[in-house]
Amino acid sequence: MMMFGYLLASGITTGALYALVALGITVVYKATRSVNFAHGDLFMIGGFIAYTFHVMWGLPYVVALLLAVAAGFAIGAVVERVAFRPLRDQGLVSLLLAAIGLSFILKGAARAVWGGKGDFIPFPPIATPSPISIGGILVVPQQLVVLAGAIAVMAIFAGFFKLTKLGRMMQATADNAKAAKLVGIPVNRVYVYTMAIGTAIAGSAAVLMAPITLLYPDIGFVLFIKSFAAAVLGGLTSIPGAVAGGFLIGLIETMSGGYISTQVQDVSSYIVIMLVLVFMPQGLFGGRALRRV
Amino acid sequence: MTMLSVRGLSISFGGVQALNDVSFDVEAGEIIGIIGPNGAGKTTLLNTISGLTRASAGKVSLDGAPISGLRPPRIASLGLGRTFQMSQLFPGMTVLENVMSGLHRKMRAGAFAAAFRTPSMREEEQATAEKAWEALRYVGMERFAHHPGTALSFGQQRVIEIARTLIGEPKLVLLDEPAVGLSVNRVAELDRLLRRIRDEKGVTLIMIEHVVRLVMGVCDRVLVLNYGVKIAEGKPEEVVADPQVIEAYLGSEFDAKRLAS
Amino acid sequence: MRLLLGSRPFLILMFSALAIVPVVANPYILYVCNLGMLYVILAVGLNILVGYAGQFALANAAMFGIGAYGAGLLQVKLGAPYFLAAPGGAVLAMLIGTVIVFPALRLSGIYLGLSTLAFAMFSQWVLLHWNSVTFGGGGFPAPHLDLSPLPIGPDTGIYYLSWLVTMALVAFAWSLVRSRIGRAFVAVRDGEIAAQSLGIDLLRYKALAFAISGFYAGAAGALYAPLLGYVAPEGFDLFQMIIQKSMIVVGGMGSVLGSVLGAAVMVFLLELLRAFKSTQEIVFGSILIVFVMFRPRGLVTLLQRLPGWDEPLSSFDPRRLFAPAASAPATPPLAATRELADGGRR
Repeated sequence: MMMFGYLLASGITTGALYALVALGITVVYKATRSVNFAHGDLFMIGGFIAYTFHVMWGLPYVVALLLAVAAGFAIGAVVERVAFRPLRDQGLVSLLLAAIGLSFILKGAARAVWGGKGDFIPFPPIATPSPISIGGILVVPQQLVVLAGAIAVMAIFAGFFKLTKLGRMMQATADNAKAAKLVGIPVNRVYVYTMAIGTAIAGSAAVLMAPITLLYPDIGFVLFIKSFAAAVLGGLTSIPGAVAGGFLIGLIETMSGGYISTQVQDVSSYIVIMLVLVFMPQGLFGGRALRRV
Repeated sequence: MTMLSVRGLSISFGGVQALNDVSFDVEAGEIIGIIGPNGAGKTTLLNTISGLTRASAGKVSLDGAPISGLRPPRIASLGLGRTFQMSQLFPGMTVLENVMSGLHRKMRAGAFAAAFRTPSMREEEQATAEKAWEALRYVGMERFAHHPGTALSFGQQRVIEIARTLIGEPKLVLLDEPAVGLSVNRVAELDRLLRRIRDEKGVTLIMIEHVVRLVMGVCDRVLVLNYGVKIAEGKPEEVVADPQVIEAYLGSEFDAKRLAS
Repeated sequence: MRLLLGSRPFLILMFSALAIVPVVANPYILYVCNLGMLYVILAVGLNILVGYAGQFALANAAMFGIGAYGAGLLQVKLGAPYFLAAPGGAVLAMLIGTVIVFPALRLSGIYLGLSTLAFAMFSQWVLLHWNSVTFGGGGFPAPHLDLSPLPIGPDTGIYYLSWLVTMALVAFAWSLVRSRIGRAFVAVRDGEIAAQSLGIDLLRYKALAFAISGFYAGAAGALYAPLLGYVAPEGFDLFQMIIQKSMIVVGGMGSVLGSVLGAAVMVFLLELLRAFKSTQEIVFGSILIVFVMFRPRGLVTLLQRLPGWDEPLSSFDPRRLFAPAASAPATPPLAATRELADGGRR
C-alpha cells in the first residue's frame, strides 16, 4: 500500500509534466494540423536557458522561470515565422521533416553550448529537498511545486483560450482556418502566437521539472515521444484530453515501472502510440475521428 | 443483355442518407447519363458501384456477376472502368506510363521478373507500350506521350484518363463529369469520342454530367437523382420535361424549358 | 545517342571506380567507401518505400539493426556460417518490416511516420533489454569475414562482398522501378483511389514496398556486422534514421540515382564531422531544413537538367505528400525519352 501511494504520487507528478508538454503539442496541432516534432527539444532549450539564468548567472528561481518562459515565447515565434510558415503550404510531411531538422539543430546546439552526451546537468530544487509526509505518503516538495505549477499553467491557459480575444481567435483558427481567414482573423499571426505560446508552455514545464529529472540534451526527444503518446491517447484534438492523457501515461509508466520492472517504463509509451494510432486513432476524447491523412 | 443491374442501393454517411433505395438497369451498349443537383448522391452512386464505398443495403451486378461488397481491384478485373471528377492522372509518371498503368492487372511480370529484367518481362513491357501508344492515338493525345501526367490542361487530362481506362478493355465505364470546364468545341469532340467508344469498342457508358448539351446529345437514357433518390428515368427529352425534375433544379442554370424548345 | 547521359552510365562509372579502391587506398578510406556502399543500399531501399511508394515510414534504421543483430546472433549463438547467417538477417528484417504494412493501410503521412517511429523505438528497446538473446546494451563482437581458403584478408573480403551485393541490389532496384511494379508503386503514391480502380491491390504493393526496404536494410545490416566487427544498439537509433532520411531528401526521392548521390554526400559529411557529434547534429539538421525548403526534390534534379538526360519521371516532390491543395503542383516538363516507348512509335 505504501508503494502504491508512492507510485501514485510519482505518477501524478510525472503525469503533470507530460500533461503540460502534451498540452503544447495539442495546441499546436489543433491550430496547424501538424505535430511539432521539435516540441520536446524546445522544452529542453527552455530548461537550459533557465539553467543559465538561475545556476550560471545566479538569478532567483522565479525570475529564471519567467525569463525561460519569455525566451520560449520568443523562440517559438521565430521558429514559426522563419522555418514553418514558408513550408506551411507545402504539406505536412515537409513540415515534419523541417521540424526533425530543427530538433537536431537544437540538440546539437545544446550539446555544444552546455554539455556533451553523457553530461547530466543538475538543477537545484526550489524547495527543500527533504521529503514531507502527506497522508502517510512521502513526497518530495519539488513534486508538489511541479504539480502546482502545472495546474496553474493549465488553468491560465484554459482561461486564456476562453476569455481573451487572442485565445478565441486561436480557437477559431484551429476549428477552421479557411473560415477564420474569411472572417478577417490574421491567421498567420495566430500561428505565430500559437507556436510562441506552445513553446512558452514547454519552457515553463522544463523549469518546473528540471530539479527532479536532470537536464540533458537528449531529453527533448524522449519527452516528446512520451508526451506525444499522452496527446494521442487523449485525442490529438482535445485539450482536456491531452491533460488526461498526460496523467494517464504518467501513471502507466510509474505503475508498470513499480509493479513489472523499471525497464518497462520507457517502452509503455511506445506501445501506447502504436496501439492507439492503429486501433483508436481518435484517442479517448478526440471528437471527430482523427483523419487518416 | 443487361450490363449493369442495381437493386435497392442505400447508403448513409453520418446520419445523412446519401443514397436511398436506388434501382435501375443498364443494357449493354447504352450510354446512360446521371444528372441531379449538387449533393444528390451521384458520385456516391459511382463510388458504391465501383466498390470504393460499401452500401448498407442493395445489390449490384455487372454483366451477371454480383459485385456488391467486392473491393475495387476485383471489380476492375471483372470489367469495370472509371474516371474521376478531379483528374487522377499520376503526376509522377509520363502520360504514356499513365496509360500503361491501365494494363497493370493484365500484365504478369512480378517483382523478380522485373528485378532481373527477364526476356518475357521486357517483351511484355514493349507490347504494353505499343498498346498504350495505340490507346493514345485513339483519343488523339499521342503527341503528349512523354509529358508529365499533369502538365496538361484538365480537358486533355480527362481524355487521357479515358484512354487509360479503355486500354484495359472494360465492359462498362463510369465517367464522373468528363465535360466539366470544356469549351464548346471540346464538348463536341468528347461527344464524338464517346460515340466511337460505344460503337467501335462496344463499351457501355454511364456518365455523371452537368453539361446539358452533352447529356442531350449523346445519352440514350437519363437518370435523375435528388437527395439520394431516383426521381426520374427515361429518354433525355422526357426527363427534361418532367415537372419533378424541373422542380428539383429550380434555381439553377438547368433551364428545362429552354432545352425543350 | 540519346542514352549517353543517364543514370546507368553514372552508376557503372561509380561502381568501376569503387572496384579499385582496395588496391589504391589506405584502410581508413577502404572503410569509408565500404560504409558508403552500405548506406547506398539503405538509401535505395528506403527510397523505394518512401520515394516511390509514398509510405512515410521511419523504421528503416531499426530494420538495419535487425539485419545486423540477426546475422551476428545467428553466427554467434547458433554457430551458423556467414553465408547463411547474412541472408538470414536480411530475411528477418524483411519479415518484420512487412508486418508494418498493416498500420500503413490505415495511417499515412505523419501518423504513419510517428507510429513506425514508435515501433522502431520499441525494437530498439528490445535490443537493449532482451539480455539473454541480444547481449543487452553492451552489444557483442561479431566475427569478421573469413574467406579462408582464398588469399583475401577480412577487410578486402568484406569490401568486395559489399561491392557485389550493392551492385546487385542497386541493379535490381533500378530495373524494378522501370517496370510495371515501379509504376504500381508510383500509382499507390500518387493516387490510391485511381490505382485501385485500375486493379492495383494496395495491400499487396504496400507490403511489397515494405518487404523490399526491409530486406535491403537487413542486408546492409548483415554486411555491417562483419565490417565493424561489433554489434551494439547505438548504431540503429533515431539519429541513424534521420541520416537515412536526409540521404534520400538530399539525393532525391523517387530516384535510384538520387539515393546513391544522397548516400555519397551524407557519408562524406558524416566522416568529415566524425569527431564532433554536436556539429554533426547541427549540420544534418540544417541540411534537412535547407533542402526541404529550397530543393525538396533533391540533388538529382540538377542532373536531370542536363540535356539528353534519361531518367524516368517518378522523381518525387515531398510537398505532394498531403499537400493541402487538391491538385499537385505542375512538374516542369522534362524531355525524357525511352527507347522502349519510341519503339512503339514507328
